[in-house]
Amino acid sequence: MTLPLAHLGHWLWIFYLLPVLIVVAGVLRSSWLERRNGRSRHREGRSR
Amino acid sequence: MSYLPLAHALLVKEDLPIPAWLFAWAASIVLIASFFALSLAWRRPRFEQEGWRPWAAALSKVLLGPPMQVLCGAIGVFLLGVGVYAGLEGTEAPDRNLAVTFLFVTCWIGFPFFSALLGDIFRPFNPWRAIGRLAGGGFRLLAGQPAGRLRYPERLGRWPAALGLLAFVWLEVVYGSTGGGVAVGLDPHVVGRAALYYTAYTLAMMALFGVEAWCERGEVFSVYFGMFAELSPLSVKDGRLGRRRLLSGAAHWATIPGSAAVVIASLSSTSFDGAQEGAFKGPIEDLFNKLSDAGFGLVTALRLSDTIFMALTFALIGLVYLVGVRGMGGVAGSPSQRKLRIGFAHSLIPIALAYLVAHYFSLFVYQEQAQFTYLLSDPLGTAATDLFGTASGGVDYKVLGANAVWYVQVAALVIGHVLGLVLAHDRALVYWSDYRKATQSQYWMLAVMVAFTCFGLYLLSSTA
Repeated sequence: MTLPLAHLGHWLWIFYLLPVLIVVAGVLRSSWLERRNGRSRHREGRSR
Repeated sequence: MSYLPLAHALLVKEDLPIPAWLFAWAASIVLIASFFALSLAWRRPRFEQEGWRPWAAALSKVLLGPPMQVLCGAIGVFLLGVGVYAGLEGTEAPDRNLAVTFLFVTCWIGFPFFSALLGDIFRPFNPWRAIGRLAGGGFRLLAGQPAGRLRYPERLGRWPAALGLLAFVWLEVVYGSTGGGVAVGLDPHVVGRAALYYTAYTLAMMALFGVEAWCERGEVFSVYFGMFAELSPLSVKDGRLGRRRLLSGAAHWATIPGSAAVVIASLSSTSFDGAQEGAFKGPIEDLFNKLSDAGFGLVTALRLSDTIFMALTFALIGLVYLVGVRGMGGVAGSPSQRKLRIGFAHSLIPIALAYLVAHYFSLFVYQEQAQFTYLLSDPLGTAATDLFGTASGGVDYKVLGANAVWYVQVAALVIGHVLGLVLAHDRALVYWSDYRKATQSQYWMLAVMVAFTCFGLYLLSSTA
């Protein structure tokens, strides 16, 4: 039986895109965490 | 009609120890590790001051003195003349005519490589600058006063050079492109005529705005090669040759409007040249078929579809950079978007050089063999001359192994992007006095660098 891999080459770009997506996701997450921490620090400062 | 193999897909990689896409993952890891190393060990800006030190005055006197300037200018004008003459009078076969290889390989690829190592070496050889200075000197002698000049519009900045750069590459990769069953080829006669038109345009602009003002902002080749020269540790200041901190020259290059467009034009034109016969081949052919079905002639449809994809590549690369800048703007204490856009453009210069090395390194090695053998002895390609006895020489394609080329390409891309990160990190330390904020702003530049690295490797893997 032959696996239908003839068109696999058309999808190789996904392997090049994945590292970019991982880094972008990491950047977005760290930005979101930073913003959340900033807001909570701001709230703490006001409550004092 | 034959044509130069400018798509540089001359070799097919042999079996690599790991799949090509894994190199993109490895390169991304190198970038991430470099990023964290920078954030730990690089906590004050180092490139704002060049740390320039002059070399011996006698050396500057010999290398930069009037006799050397006249000699270099004369060589530049002579070579331009030879190129134009070969283009107009030589064979129509681009691979046998000196004009195409000389202009698009020896100069276009050679000057960036050597400028990055040795500084602005194009400046003394610039034929248009030499003619302009000679004409200006002649006018001063006859009229007894310097010619009147218009003030160069500040807002125009380097935009004429950016557009000229795109036009030059368009001539090579779109006007002379092949595809969709149509082989147009870059006619050397067109190259010769284009060089004459460009000469007339450049001299007119120099007459209007002054030789040095136009060379600094509008003259395509001065701006383009000069941009790479900013990476070099060698530079000239107040007529003295000296040494400065590596990469430090680039720090203030992009302050003139339009500089970001120049470096993005460089990146996008190299990317498009690589993608044209690889990643973009299918979509370009689809558009070509649609346009030819819509009634456009074959050549027009081919050029139109290539032009659209070239413009899209420019827009895409510009967009990735702007997304990075936008992200940095969200970090507390950030300067204005405009300041960020200008302030980080220089970090793309090493990447532009890396893309050039990665895409054209093998082409340069192969075509220079042609340049210094049969093209030099028979510049017109008519088989009528053998000036140096090398007209029967050829290109040895075995001089570089396919895998060696691939490793040079990967190394160039990784080193170029790490240097880009270094320049961006250094600039962030100027804009954010708190190094933690500076590091935080650079998460976005890291994403931009990883995107450009993976895109570059994808283009190379899909053409080689």
